[in-house]
Amino acid sequence: MKMSKILVNINKLEEIEEYKKIGITNFLFAIEGFSIGYKTFALSDIPEFSYLLINRVLDTSSVDKLASLKDEIKRFKGIIYEDIAVYQLFKNEDIELIWFQNHFTTNYASINYWLNSGCISAVISNEITESEINEIFEKSNKPLILNILGKNQIMYSRRKLLTNFNTYNNLSDYNNMTLLEPITNNKFKASESDYGTVISDSEYFNYVPLMNTIDDTKIKYYLILNQDLSVIDIKEILEGKEFGNTGFLNKKTVYRMSEYNDR
Amino acid sequence: MTDNVELLAPAGNLEKMKFAFLYGADAVYFGGKNYSLRANAKNFSESEMKEAVEYAHSLGKKVYVTVNIVFHNEDLIGLEDYLRYLSSIKVDAIITSDLAVMSLINEKDIDLEIHVSTQASILNHDAALFYKSIGATRVVLAREASKEDIKRIKSETGLELECFVHGAMCTSISGRCVLSNYCTNRDSNRGGCAQICRWTFGYSNGEELVTDKPFSMTPKDLNMITHVEDMINIGVNSFKIEGRMRSIYYISTVILIYRRIIDKIKNNTLTEEYKRYALNILNRVANRESAPQFYEGLPGVDEQYYLGREELSNQDFLGLVIDYQDGVITVEQRNNFKVGDEIQAFGPNHDTYSFKIEYIINENGENIDVARHPQMIIKINSPYKLEKNDMLRIKMFDI
Repeated sequence: MKMSKILVNINKLEEIEEYKKIGITNFLFAIEGFSIGYKTFALSDIPEFSYLLINRVLDTSSVDKLASLKDEIKRFKGIIYEDIAVYQLFKNEDIELIWFQNHFTTNYASINYWLNSGCISAVISNEITESEINEIFEKSNKPLILNILGKNQIMYSRRKLLTNFNTYNNLSDYNNMTLLEPITNNKFKASESDYGTVISDSEYFNYVPLMNTIDDTKIKYYLILNQDLSVIDIKEILEGKEFGNTGFLNKKTVYRMSEYNDR
Repeated sequence: MTDNVELLAPAGNLEKMKFAFLYGADAVYFGGKNYSLRANAKNFSESEMKEAVEYAHSLGKKVYVTVNIVFHNEDLIGLEDYLRYLSSIKVDAIITSDLAVMSLINEKDIDLEIHVSTQASILNHDAALFYKSIGATRVVLAREASKEDIKRIKSETGLELECFVHGAMCTSISGRCVLSNYCTNRDSNRGGCAQICRWTFGYSNGEELVTDKPFSMTPKDLNMITHVEDMINIGVNSFKIEGRMRSIYYISTVILIYRRIIDKIKNNTLTEEYKRYALNILNRVANRESAPQFYEGLPGVDEQYYLGREELSNQDFLGLVIDYQDGVITVEQRNNFKVGDEIQAFGPNHDTYSFKIEYIINENGENIDVARHPQMIIKINSPYKLEKNDMLRIKMFDI
């Protein structure tokens, strides 16, 4: 039952058959030219029953390119989008639209705006607490998508931060680097493409236990944004293997220094 | 094209707002105690906002209030009352990025003009058209917008366009960074940003450091002074200065320079010499280096710092003029200066004057050689008629 509601991104085409064997049949593909931070694919290589992840912030020329691919894209099942231009281009087409503006899907009012505007669902931010997530589920007017496993994208810069640093210091063309923050001991993964630099968490969050607590009728999909796990790894984690961290589920963020000092 | 051009200044408090208007801003933006992305700035109480709006309108100028956090559920409580209050005091617009705010204004028919914040990361015409369709009259473009993006957005939407032209930049696309949340638990998109992008990091391939140099990703500041005329010509309406937490000296200096550049463009009197002078002044007043960044292409290796925070303390601001009588100015001191120093006086209503300090008299009427103490009241000679709220600085460049 739950496995049929898993939506997972694909890193290698061969994974599709492996996932099907464990009951996962909903797939998401990052696409060349319009996605950042994940393994991308040419549209021609992607099965039509898939969702597309378009998570770049798009400039005008990129919107023109996307518009020129409209007919080719319409044949897919749906699009998870970041930039509102995607919504504008496809809102009158027969394709499912899912709002996932990274870091912005943090309240029920904004989510309901998009659900009332034709989106079939939205991906809830996992940078909010469990009680905030539950309130969004309670107050949303369509089933939503809960991100249950992945490495969050934390920062997205249009700049080529690694190339610039490598160039300045006469280093090799390093990419996919680990950034070590010495004060808080955080580690981040930094990856660069033609479209900028993405900094992600170096650790996986694991919200799989929430699958047992949330009313299934409120769920459109449980989303897995995989970077480097095997299908077997994912199966074991879904079956309850201890893995990853609990992210912000029990960690409420603050924003005034007075609140910070009171902690 | 120059009739509909606005110079928009940050106002961290009422005093800064008044200086911004005095030195030439057409409008200011600030946040209230809630819902604003500078949660640790002083910000404005509701009564201060009312006073600010009345003051601005008495001068024929405008006030925009930032309601630009990314809302969590708990932040929605009280939002309608707050928006109705802003409407009741007749703020000229709110600046927001969250659809929760925009949809509430529309659903409840609250009389507020909507400007879409740079947090919405608008880089294309279709996104701008969406916001136009839900009632926005202006969009604040992402700082990553190129000249071609700006031209296209203007031509396809007809919306008022507001662009940041001066001040600090995020390393990330605005709104697309929560490094602060992960490192300090301070919520960057609700005003708690700890500016982690200005920290340094070890640079590892996953197994070992590949260099002992610290990784840094801090951008230099934005400075569009040499492109203002071009931006006017492609349809930018509002020229926005960043810096609600900056000093009155910084705000006054930057606003005055942009004011004079815009006026000279309007009067067709802008010269290359004045542009160079303006650039020199702006470079000097900032505590970081600056560049045009994304306007003419992707910024590269020269538009960043590589050694973490590189901020220089600026002690150019010598004092604030509080009175002038018969060749003598009364000054509230801000930084150390002495008899014999060459200084400049500048203000909104006259040219910049240079002169030498011939004497300094303290509050006891005694001649002193050096004005050492911040905010001490002193009298010095001035061969030029100055006005209250003019400023004195170290002589930096000839004009």
